[in-house]
Amino acid sequence: MNNDNKNFVLFAVLAALILFGWPYIARTVFPVANPPVTKIEKGKQQPLPNPGADPTADSPAALRDRAQVLAESPRVRINTPTLQGSINLRGARIDDLVLTRYKESIAANSPPIRLLSPSGTRDAYFAGFGWRGVGGFAPPAADTVWQATGTELAPGRPVTLAASNATGQRFAIRIAVDANYMFTVTQTVSNGGGAAVPVAPYSFVNRSGVSKDPDSWTIHTGPMSAHNGGADYDLDFKDLDEAPATYTSKGGWYGFSDKYWLTAAIPDQAADVTAQFRGGANKSYQADYTVAPKSLAPGAALTTTARFFAGAKEVDLLDGYEDTLGITHFGKAIDWGWFEVIMKPIFQYLHWLFGVLGNFGVAIILLTFTVRLIMFPIAQRQFASMASMRAIQPKLKALQERYKDDKPRLQQEMMALYKTEKVNPLAGCAPTLLQIPIFYALYKVLMLTIEMRHQPFVAWIKDLSAPDPLTPVNLFGLLAFTPPAFIAIGVIPILLGISMYFQFKLNPAPMDDVQKQVFALMPWVLMFVMAPFAVGLQVYWITSNVLTILQQQWLYSKHPALKTAPAK
Amino acid sequence: MTARLLILLARGWQLGPSLLLPPSCRYSPSCSAYAIEAIRRYGAARGGWLAAKRIARCHPWGGHGHDPVP
Repeated sequence: MNNDNKNFVLFAVLAALILFGWPYIARTVFPVANPPVTKIEKGKQQPLPNPGADPTADSPAALRDRAQVLAESPRVRINTPTLQGSINLRGARIDDLVLTRYKESIAANSPPIRLLSPSGTRDAYFAGFGWRGVGGFAPPAADTVWQATGTELAPGRPVTLAASNATGQRFAIRIAVDANYMFTVTQTVSNGGGAAVPVAPYSFVNRSGVSKDPDSWTIHTGPMSAHNGGADYDLDFKDLDEAPATYTSKGGWYGFSDKYWLTAAIPDQAADVTAQFRGGANKSYQADYTVAPKSLAPGAALTTTARFFAGAKEVDLLDGYEDTLGITHFGKAIDWGWFEVIMKPIFQYLHWLFGVLGNFGVAIILLTFTVRLIMFPIAQRQFASMASMRAIQPKLKALQERYKDDKPRLQQEMMALYKTEKVNPLAGCAPTLLQIPIFYALYKVLMLTIEMRHQPFVAWIKDLSAPDPLTPVNLFGLLAFTPPAFIAIGVIPILLGISMYFQFKLNPAPMDDVQKQVFALMPWVLMFVMAPFAVGLQVYWITSNVLTILQQQWLYSKHPALKTAPAK
Repeated sequence: MTARLLILLARGWQLGPSLLLPPSCRYSPSCSAYAIEAIRRYGAARGGWLAAKRIARCHPWGGHGHDPVP
């Protein structure tokens, strides 16, 4: 009994640690959910502004500054079904880009996500193309104003920028764009001078300030590249504050990754390049690559093709670019991690269900049904053995009393009892362990993929990847106060707690009192732990619990003998 | 080093999830106790392999009963 008390105290301390330490663990190790998209106030649901959604600044002052900077130089408009913005003819830069299909918040009048913003504005973020000046050769510089062949860039209507220098070389940058997020940049030098020149094309992406999405153990944000046949998630902004990182590779891609947005400078995949990430003044960071220089004879011309990606990390789109354009590991711009093998199929299945049903919440429920269906035979055997365990509970308890000082003997006697009572052996740990990766995969799919962003379920749930905003702690928003996050338990987590309570009740009663107390407390501890997680994950768990309870009830109704157990 | 980490992992399982989940051991000793003993005796590589094989046996169609570390 003394030992039991000690165990219970230990458990209570652990439970308290989990409860109160959880927010800190969650913040540093892995994020639990996306920021809330709505707030329920005075019984009404209001969309919350979400200024952290886009990589660039959105304050009124920043907007004014941006309008001013944009007006300072000649520009070519970018106009596609997914993008709006402009190319800066001074310096041949793409530095003004808005993703029209994605919004900052779920409010109807929310501005779209702004990805790129010109140099000289707050949170500047831009890309540029050119040639290195090597050995006295002077290609156009950052202040060169280029001549454009058109005034608007659209899919199927490329624009060519032209410039020349004092030594007789002519330069052309032809920019084409597809209906999504890929720019194809063809750079040509024609040598009209009297001597050979070294030609080394480059391109760069430059951003001020670090990503607004936190870099965590499970999801990498920040400098991101693929080089030498692998994707590289290890480089962080703070590494660049200390020293630049340089790679020599064939092809690859180099850029910056937010959780949902990506920019990448992509050289010809067959070219030998030297790539570099570095930090500069005013917290600016640059990713760039330079193609190995080639000597260009007088009268000759040299054309190289590069690409530039700026947009949303849609799964099928990135994989499509990897396949059709042959960009190595482009799909890995999404940080799937170790569990990619099971996450990808789960994502694809969810996405397919979503396509059919039109609601991601319903898709998650159907996913749960599918998982339970696959697990059905295992669960069936597990329940059968649990039920028979329940039936012999009193005998086990008697054995425990008798051999409480002789553990090995107790084990032996228990095994013997199982044999004489013809108890099915328990299901074993493999089925339980198997479900952990599935749960983790769903968590990460919800957190990681842009397809899950701002996806509503029913009623007040406007974003399945954010926590439940409706809480009884402030009377469902009728009281004018915002409870601290860790007690603001939403309605869905409470349902989760209740479903867990009933599910635990159906398990065979644990043998000792400590375990009994632990079991009684556990649903409510888990309710607090799970509350800050994405609603989609809670929907999965609740559905799973309900299905388990139904299956168990069905089993009991089929074998009523199992239920009338603890008689003796 | 790796061995200690693996043992820590198994201990973590015993004190955390294992306490909360319904009892499910088909074998005695339990998978986690088996893993700890195997790693102590044979080291991370061989002990870990033995433990992995044990977990792979521990499903509804696997064996059951007394199954100590060889």
